[in-house]
Amino acid sequence: MIIQYKKKRGWLGTVFLVEILKGMGLTLRRMLSRSVTRQYPEERPEIRIGFRGQHALARDPVTGGSRCVACMRCAVVCPSRCIHIEYKKDEQTGVREVQSYAIEALRCIYCGYCEEVCPVNAVILTEVYEYAAYKRDAFYFDEEQLLKNWDRFIEESRYDPTKYVNPFWRPRGIDERTLAGPRRRSVPDDWKMENQWVGTGMTKSRKTGARCDVGGH
Amino acid sequence: MVIEILLTILLIVVVFSVIMLHVAYATYFERKVIGHMQVRMGPMRVGPHGLLQPIADGIKLFFKEDVFPETADKPTFYAAPIICLVAALTSIAVIPFWEGMAISDINIGLLFILAMSSLAGWGVVLAGWASNSKYAFLGGLRASAQIISYEIAMGLSIVGVMMMAGSLNMSEIVKAQAQSPFGIYAIPQVLGFFVFLVAMLAETNRTPFDMPECESELVAGYCTEYAGFRFALFFLGEYVGMIVMASVGTICFLGGWTGPFEVPFFPIIWFMLKVYFLIFFFYWVRATLPRYRYDQIMALGWKVLIPLALGNVILTGIMKTFVWH
Repeated sequence: MIIQYKKKRGWLGTVFLVEILKGMGLTLRRMLSRSVTRQYPEERPEIRIGFRGQHALARDPVTGGSRCVACMRCAVVCPSRCIHIEYKKDEQTGVREVQSYAIEALRCIYCGYCEEVCPVNAVILTEVYEYAAYKRDAFYFDEEQLLKNWDRFIEESRYDPTKYVNPFWRPRGIDERTLAGPRRRSVPDDWKMENQWVGTGMTKSRKTGARCDVGGH
Repeated sequence: MVIEILLTILLIVVVFSVIMLHVAYATYFERKVIGHMQVRMGPMRVGPHGLLQPIADGIKLFFKEDVFPETADKPTFYAAPIICLVAALTSIAVIPFWEGMAISDINIGLLFILAMSSLAGWGVVLAGWASNSKYAFLGGLRASAQIISYEIAMGLSIVGVMMMAGSLNMSEIVKAQAQSPFGIYAIPQVLGFFVFLVAMLAETNRTPFDMPECESELVAGYCTEYAGFRFALFFLGEYVGMIVMASVGTICFLGGWTGPFEVPFFPIIWFMLKVYFLIFFFYWVRATLPRYRYDQIMALGWKVLIPLALGNVILTGIMKTFVWH
């Protein structure tokens, strides 16, 4: 390891307080530069794709309810154990039916594992970040509230609910074959860049190291 | 006679209100300057660009509960902030804002200001002692040691100016300065000006010498136990002290009300600009330098500034006797 020691200052530098003057020059330059403050309620932050905000259950346009199939993957993967699902199993067919789905938002750490692991793209962390309330109960999101959260998100963000894809629903950098569930929505083409594994057919181009355009393969 | 007294009182009221307005907006100016130096914006919410912030602060402080520590020494506790503010405000009386415009143009103006700034230190010491709290007590002790040390350096740094001007009267100093070859004493008295600037920071308990109230060690130092408007009195005293010190620096070293050209109808303009610059200097230093350690402050005061100021006195004497006479 090379240690870069500070150069010793000469007696002239000490007498004329060169270091203090340098520091004062720096503060003066900073004063004349633009401040980085964002005046929050008026100026809002730019939300990037992949922002993890308020929880929601995507509303299925066909059934009008959630797409959850009660596979329990999200509840199992959740590091803070804040997802509670109850389901009933049909004795003959073995099909599960969701009885209740609830997320304790105050325990959530917004890691996004639940939406990555969901095979049917049901649970999602939306881009909504303003949801303060006066009571703690308001952050216990039951199924109805989670669906309402989705409606609010779609309304505020003006996404087309039939085309909206969350990046975590088909996480980049993970081989399609290792993902669970066949019913994930496909991502737009402009996400399939920079030699990332998105969708199928990525392994070959990754081996050769070439820049790939997945759409053609 | 009666009319004269009434006129003086009127003048005092006018000066007092102007100074108080300046103090209020000095806090705003400080927060803005330091904010921008830290690439922030400072107060922005109350009024356009936070312009009403000082008024909001004043109202808040005025309506806060007046908490009184049970074990405190009551009369001293009540007297301390008043001593602080009164001592600082009294100094304003001898400062000439423009030619012939001073509430009281006395012959020992500089001595009077030095005496009053020592009295303000007395208020701080009393506040620390009367609060019966260890933080306030330590703050008071530090204040007394610091003010004694830097009072000497400050007094000696001004001696050079007194020798060159041949007077202690503030107006006479400015007039003598205007006739000197450079127009300001900051150039021939550069050593004295440097010592004065450092001692000025220490005397008003500003960063990097804010040992009496350093919040990282002593909570708030001598005013820890004070609340509401009594705290505000200390605050006012500190800012009035800053304005006084900036005025003394302006008058002794930067040429007072004289400027490159005369401004009709508004003779105070040069004085104001110079004082504002020095106040900006206070904030600039505060935004740049970290707080000194206590023994470093003492070492700087006794080992560097006082010998420097003494050397400056001797040098000025030699120059005045053999070169400038």
